[in-house]
Amino acid sequence: MKVLVCAKRVVDPNVKVRVKSDFSNVEIEHSKMSLNPFDENAIEEAVRLKERGVVTEIVAVSIGSAKCEETLRNALARGCDRAILVESSENYEPINIANILQKIVATEQPQLIMLGKQAIDDDANQVAQMLAGKLGIAQATFVSQLEVNADRLIARREIDGGTQKLELTLPAVVSADLYLNEPRFIKLPQLMQAKKKPIEKIAVAELGLELNARTRLVKVMDGEVKKQCKFVDSSSDLLDLIKKGAM
Amino acid sequence: MKVLVITFAKEQKLNDNLLNVLSAAKRINRHCDVLILGNADYSRVQELKIVEKIMLFNNVTDATNSATLLASNLAEIVKNYTHTLIAADSYGKDLLPRIAGILDLSQISEVVEIVSPNTFKKPMYAGNILAEVESFEEIKLLTIRTTSFAAYSEAGSAASVEVNEFSPLANDKLSYLGEELVHNDTIDLAHAELIVTGGRSLGSKEDFDKLIHGLAIKLGGAVGASRAAVEAGYASNDCQVGQTGKVVAPKLYVAIGISGAVQHIAGMKDSKTVVAVNLDPNAQIFEYADYGLIGDLFDVVPELISKL
Repeated sequence: MKVLVCAKRVVDPNVKVRVKSDFSNVEIEHSKMSLNPFDENAIEEAVRLKERGVVTEIVAVSIGSAKCEETLRNALARGCDRAILVESSENYEPINIANILQKIVATEQPQLIMLGKQAIDDDANQVAQMLAGKLGIAQATFVSQLEVNADRLIARREIDGGTQKLELTLPAVVSADLYLNEPRFIKLPQLMQAKKKPIEKIAVAELGLELNARTRLVKVMDGEVKKQCKFVDSSSDLLDLIKKGAM
Repeated sequence: MKVLVITFAKEQKLNDNLLNVLSAAKRINRHCDVLILGNADYSRVQELKIVEKIMLFNNVTDATNSATLLASNLAEIVKNYTHTLIAADSYGKDLLPRIAGILDLSQISEVVEIVSPNTFKKPMYAGNILAEVESFEEIKLLTIRTTSFAAYSEAGSAASVEVNEFSPLANDKLSYLGEELVHNDTIDLAHAELIVTGGRSLGSKEDFDKLIHGLAIKLGGAVGASRAAVEAGYASNDCQVGQTGKVVAPKLYVAIGISGAVQHIAGMKDSKTVVAVNLDPNAQIFEYADYGLIGDLFDVVPELISKL
């Protein structure tokens, strides 16, 4: 079974992002970048399926600038077999990412497509569902437990109030929740091995898609709401404030 | 402009957050249609001023109420509207992007403010950044962060009701194997006016239950947890407050042993009053708290419980 996994290059989760002085966007040019943590979970699960002998090949795909090669090397070091970089200087919105991925799926014909449930930069939580809708195949989003066999999978999904279990016929799209697994640390030998694995580069123009912008970022603002904390010394004082706040 | 609001029923009950989505809809137009997936008593919604028509798909059951099975049918209806809104809960987040994919439309997620019928504000980077986004789409799809909109309550004349059916819903792509819902002895997090949240520093599930659940029960509130506390197994996944868990905005948020990582702040910063207890005076949570006590939670919380 072939699995396609997606690897988005995002600002590292520990970086505190700031607004540019003209409010046009966020200042990330010199920030540390990482593989989107949710995509790490998706990749980890694919690798575990391969280790169990369910999956035979894992193809990682990333869309963006040449710098995404670094993100794909990370995915390869985790155990993906080969990678595809769809090169573009544009920062596409989710619907166009889904359009690009649909093209890749048409060529690669994976049985299973795995992505993180959201990227930690735009927090959109859309691509997996959009892609599944475009392909007309089953989707299991926010998955925290996964069993896969020859032609179907059983997914446990995180939903409001608990969990839900679904059985999906393959091919299918799975979006990973953080609870799906604990991604492994990459060791030096794996990094060295990853350098030898192939990365195929495709210019986005070669795909023949019309990828018009559907939205425009008008401006960005600081979303922070810091408060002036008033400190108290005793639990009785705190209790009074709790009672007051609850009213 | 024609506005559609999609909601669902579970265990014969309509999702309460529909009222918050209706307040968002009102910022776009005076009227909207409401599409209900599943069977429930809709009489309260029927009497609301903004609601012109209710479309009830009452043959949708828990087993067939999934994005995979419903989205293509819904896409045909969504096409007739300029705006479709749904709550940004786990149901809406699963469903609306699939409809967007089918119709090749963009979607704006987690809308916190409707600036105009084509411009919206939404959080990014765990809520550290707020983005104002203009949509060029003729059909706008929005998931609504319900904590940012009050519950709609204006009464009006009765809306018309259309009872419809999707057929056939069964297919070979997906089968439903059931749900496991967590029934806490405390109140549901999403609707709670008071939340007591515990972090990893509770150290064990026993102490989490004794102190966090204990205090929540005494205060009549719900239990929340940081991601670290959930991962340590102190609380169920469903309790997680934060960027990747639930976004809450209660009247009172009591943070016990919470350090205040940005991912956690993202889930609670709209709370009206925040009270924090932490041993570390430099804990970030104090920057988002109205009141703080620097102290050992293992001393403070038992004192609070005994005084209640």
